[in-house]
Amino acid sequence: MGLLGKIFYIREKGNNFKRSKKWEGELNKCIRCGYCYELCPLFKTNNWESDTPRGKLLLIYGMITGEIEPTQGIVDKIFQCFYCKNCSDNCSAGVPVTDILTDARADLIEAGFEVEGTIVKVDEDLCSVCGVCVPVCKYEALSIEEKGKDQHEIIVDKVECRGCGLCVSACPSGAISQKDGCEITLPELHMKVSNLLKENKDMKAIVFCCNWSLFPGMQLSESPTLVKTPYGLIVSMCSGRVAPELVLNAFEEGAWGVMVAGCPPEECDHDGNYKTRRRLVLLKNVLKELNIEPERIKLDWFSTGESAKLSKAIDDFVKKLEKLGPIKKMEASKKFGG
Amino acid sequence: MKIDIDKLKKIVGGDNVSDDVADLYVYSSDASVHQALPSAIVRPQSIEQVQKIMRYANKNKIPIVPRGAGSGTSGHTVPIDGGIILDMKQMNRILEISPEDMLVRVEPGVVDDDLNRALKPYGLFYPPAPASSRIATIGGEIAANASGVRSVKYGATRDYVLGMKVVLANGKLVNLGSNTRVHSSGYQLERLIVGSEGTLGVVVEATMGIRPLPKFRCLGVTNFDKLEDAGNAISDIISSGSQPSMLELMDKIGIIAVNKAMDLNLPEVAAIIMFEADGNVKKAVDFEIDKMKKICEKHNGTGIELSYDVAERTRLFSGRKKLFASLSKYKEGIICTDLADDMGVPNSKIAVTAKKINEIAERNNVIMAVYGHCGSGVIHTKIMLDPKKKSQWKDAEKVIEELYDYVHSVGGVTSAEHGIGLSKAPPWKKARGDIIPMMRSIKKALDPNNILNPHKIMDAPDDWVGATNLRYKVG
Repeated sequence: MGLLGKIFYIREKGNNFKRSKKWEGELNKCIRCGYCYELCPLFKTNNWESDTPRGKLLLIYGMITGEIEPTQGIVDKIFQCFYCKNCSDNCSAGVPVTDILTDARADLIEAGFEVEGTIVKVDEDLCSVCGVCVPVCKYEALSIEEKGKDQHEIIVDKVECRGCGLCVSACPSGAISQKDGCEITLPELHMKVSNLLKENKDMKAIVFCCNWSLFPGMQLSESPTLVKTPYGLIVSMCSGRVAPELVLNAFEEGAWGVMVAGCPPEECDHDGNYKTRRRLVLLKNVLKELNIEPERIKLDWFSTGESAKLSKAIDDFVKKLEKLGPIKKMEASKKFGG
Repeated sequence: MKIDIDKLKKIVGGDNVSDDVADLYVYSSDASVHQALPSAIVRPQSIEQVQKIMRYANKNKIPIVPRGAGSGTSGHTVPIDGGIILDMKQMNRILEISPEDMLVRVEPGVVDDDLNRALKPYGLFYPPAPASSRIATIGGEIAANASGVRSVKYGATRDYVLGMKVVLANGKLVNLGSNTRVHSSGYQLERLIVGSEGTLGVVVEATMGIRPLPKFRCLGVTNFDKLEDAGNAISDIISSGSQPSMLELMDKIGIIAVNKAMDLNLPEVAAIIMFEADGNVKKAVDFEIDKMKKICEKHNGTGIELSYDVAERTRLFSGRKKLFASLSKYKEGIICTDLADDMGVPNSKIAVTAKKINEIAERNNVIMAVYGHCGSGVIHTKIMLDPKKKSQWKDAEKVIEELYDYVHSVGGVTSAEHGIGLSKAPPWKKARGDIIPMMRSIKKALDPNNILNPHKIMDAPDDWVGATNLRYKVG
């Protein structure tokens, strides 16, 4: 917050958090059991309690009751969330976590804070204002606005943006991005793929999992010396986030196959799975052109709680890859330093 | 309190230290009613780092409060004197699974459910399973001697601790206990650490016993029109020589709450009992279940449902599993507070205690839910109130005092599985003044500068409401 913002904030103190204050009763209902940790992808990445739904609710409670003043550090935490709603949907106390969060975000933006978190940003130099991103966003967080005479720009509504990142993978100019640090940006996902394949030479498949349908069943504790699976799981948030270059990158790094596990078509919050389906059909055609078996790419749908079905699908996929063996073209090109 | 943040960053790395108010405020409370701000959060990743932090803190007399998931209900991890919160969740590696020796070696931040997920392929399990097992860490469970729904057959955390590595207040690392199932080689110091709530040392590694996963589990659910009948059925099952692997009670308030929270459509009777038997021989499980079913019927239990199916068992048990959080849904305007939450009574006193709780609550115009692992004598209560009304906190104080006086008069204990911390210290001190000098001597011998989770259990303030800020805005 700049100096002017601070002056405004202090002058308007009585009116601050007018949206969030209506939630005080609901915030009291949170018994702070912390069960929401289990379901929070941000917590599993960062492991700070301030990244959990419980932590965010505490901060909002502290601000509306006047116990703490908002700081940039607090604002950063409030704007880090992917709205998977695993917390809201599973809270037995019925606390509407993400609704409260949305109102707190609106209050903080109104108070003049700089916000980033998981919100997408558009690089004006790269953006051609083609508008591909606008219909991709189910939350209407992106719009084309007039900038000046015959000039336009893409504007991000920072309250409405859910951080799903679908627009990031849809942008043909690579102009839309998110801040690193939550392990969901393309460079971070690339890095995860590379690390998994480097650490386990026997790994055959990379499996991209949707956070919404499958993440809650995944582990937090590490057992590196014990679990050597022939596949590596990567949470990519929505399956629509799996950009073509991520899949190709996995093949280049030595994976024998790539599986994408998304929500069933009618269950996806973001309609991202339709985009993935179209994208993977095209990618399979690209593989054919390269004389690589297209069945090395697999797309399947899983509802929440279908972890047994996922396990079986992965096992079947790995068995198929073992029959196919490594990608011959890739092997050959590696020999020649390609 | 002056804390050298740069020094701490040098020890654990810059990303693992915070004195940002965003973190300090979040780590100022747990699942209890208390709140107090720490001065810094530090996340060690190795034993050596913990040793260095302790040496620094001991030299400068800075309080250290070890913390697992922060799911404690009595304020164990609320830093009443400020200082450093030692967040142990980064030390979360399962170091060894040994089916040959039937043990696991884990770091303290390993989550209970994660451990069991890792053990399942070996056909093994780690039995202590508090309702919070999805987030609770093994270190936190050791600190509180947690038990849970299967304690009636499998016991508490203390029954599984074989050995542990502990960093003392002065930074020295000690190896306690053994890798053997039993030992009679000197003081059982590993057991001294169990239930010490972070006041004697920092557990940095634990060797825990494990058990074979039973092939069959059968769950029964039955309804009672009188809470007393349900209490008597539980006492009878235990004294009959039955061996339930779970024996849970849930009263009408709990049933209404979970129905509202989860649309379970359970019959809103006075009480529900859930009983389970497990084993490797189905006939033996059938025998135990049938025996318990008949005892329930004798005490007017009706509508008995039985299931071996995992999905069905999960459905039947889901209300009990999420009861604690659901209680805030019981009635508009009131919320669930973690007060007087886990007393333990002898088996023969379960029914009378349940009845007494209802009577005390009614007389004082307070709403209290009664539930718990009653087969082990663990009775959970929660006080539901409007946190903004000062008078309701006063009513709660009165009820709690009366309740604990009763529990102690029938030979019960203040806390069966959650620990004393801050909230339960006044009634516990009133009942167990005889052992406080001995506990203080032990504390002084191990932590002469009183830096490890100070002012908890025997040293906690006598006024639990005034001990810290309440985490609710009262008035």
